[in-house]
Amino acid sequence: MTKSNYDYMETLTKTKTELCIDVKGVSVRFKTPKGVYTAIQNIDLQIFKGEIISIIGHSGCGKSTLMSTISGMVKPTEGEVIVNNKKVTAPGPDRGIVFQNYSLLPWMTVYQNIYEAVDSVLSSLSREEKRAVVDKAIQMVNLTTHKDKHPQQLSGGMKQRVAIARAFAINPSVLLLDEPFGALDALTKGSMHVELLKLWNLDNRNKTIIMVTHDIEEAIFLSDRIVVMNDGPAATIREIVDVPLPRPRDKREIVNLPEYRITRDHLISLLMDKFSIMDHGVEYVEKQEAEEM
Amino acid sequence: MSTSEMKAVLQYKTIELIKNIGYFVAGLVVLGLVWEFVSRRLAGELPGPLATWEVFKGLIEEPFYDYGPNDKGIGLQLLSSLSRVGMGFLLGSLVAIPAGILMGASKVGMKLLNPIVQILRPVSPLAWFPIGLVAFQSASSSTVFVIFITSLWPTLINTAFGVSSIPDDHKNVAKAFGFSKIKYIFKVILPYSLPHIITGLKLSVGVAWLVIVAAEMLSGGIGIGFFVWDSWNALSLERVLAAILIIGTVGLLLDKFFSLLQTKFSYDKK
Repeated sequence: MTKSNYDYMETLTKTKTELCIDVKGVSVRFKTPKGVYTAIQNIDLQIFKGEIISIIGHSGCGKSTLMSTISGMVKPTEGEVIVNNKKVTAPGPDRGIVFQNYSLLPWMTVYQNIYEAVDSVLSSLSREEKRAVVDKAIQMVNLTTHKDKHPQQLSGGMKQRVAIARAFAINPSVLLLDEPFGALDALTKGSMHVELLKLWNLDNRNKTIIMVTHDIEEAIFLSDRIVVMNDGPAATIREIVDVPLPRPRDKREIVNLPEYRITRDHLISLLMDKFSIMDHGVEYVEKQEAEEM
Repeated sequence: MSTSEMKAVLQYKTIELIKNIGYFVAGLVVLGLVWEFVSRRLAGELPGPLATWEVFKGLIEEPFYDYGPNDKGIGLQLLSSLSRVGMGFLLGSLVAIPAGILMGASKVGMKLLNPIVQILRPVSPLAWFPIGLVAFQSASSSTVFVIFITSLWPTLINTAFGVSSIPDDHKNVAKAFGFSKIKYIFKVILPYSLPHIITGLKLSVGVAWLVIVAAEMLSGGIGIGFFVWDSWNALSLERVLAAILIIGTVGLLLDKFFSLLQTKFSYDKK
């Protein structure tokens, strides 16, 4: 590790000791027509101020449910979530949410979509101040020339930038992203990662970001720590993996670092049980054939 | 699009329009021939298209004459009917839209109102006429009351359906950013359900225009329904037939007007 990187690692550990989110023994159960379904079971998780955390796992493992207990969209059946020393009971202005499918209101322009959120959360500001906030947010994601368009006229990447701008505009201390780039093509996704980190940097890395994803490379590039979930129902945390990569990260360079490969291989082995056609799946068939003969 | 392409599109559209007008005229001619045939078979019991046309022309040449309470021009009769429909429809919509929002937005509201709606909806609105007479002591107000009842159901049901079908995505936005009740109603519920509401209004005004003719036959006095009944009493089937044509045309125009609103207010076409 070079000297400057070492310094940075030090500041990293120094600054990230202030507890921001405390998930304490959270279980979520849903009543369904077929009976009670336990989505997540007894989850404990501490997240510090300014951290970027990814929650990763297979589809339906309850990672979005865990996130929703932090955002306040879902109430835990057991346990509690503390954000900024306050118990979460409902969504609040200290947490900005970016939904999986953008969730823009199709009858409003880009500007209006952001304005209504700002108007609602920062209600004490004057009209002019709110407008300035909206303009700044739109400028931040480079959509000023598209601000009077409706969502239907925008590409997927642009829509997601509007959703991110909307979440940033209300200046929350916590940003919750639910599979934010899942619907984007690989190239757009790559540039969105950089844009997200840019926005985080512009804010002096003060915002705590929690992202749900099923993309290992995305999780490594963005996060400080990666929470790996077991498969549901009654999902639990399997392991929390540290990402020991220096910031600012460069997509081209980090893939060559040994830490990157170690982390990626570890995540792959946690999340997958088949790595190649030569793995035990094929061996098993061969063995069976041998036995039959 | 290049100019030559635009020209081609324009040309195609013009040809389509001319074709459609051609079909319309052909349909009219067939109807006229059948009508004429039936009229001749009945040996003058039913006036033919030409005789009706003469009376029709006479009616629309001087639509606004007023020779006392029992002899007014067709224009005055139409205006009177339209104003009653407008009044009843407006009042009905003012009740139906908020009630529909309540039904669609709250489960309790749905459970409270739905059984009542289901019982009252299949009743012919004319059955309410005597209730109106008792309540308002006037045949004219009673007609408006019947139209009011008529206009309630399609609007109510469509509004409730529209509001209850709001996707979770839209609700989540309101929840996540803490929209107030007022903001939720005006920025989410109403814009989302507006196309459904307009569909309901369109159906309501259509049924109201059907019912007004019968209602005015009961109420008497003035109006297009009264005109039909009065013409029958005067044994002028030509006037009855002419009135049928006029009622149909006005109904078509009302329908087209709401179709126009529908396209104007459907946000996904922007």
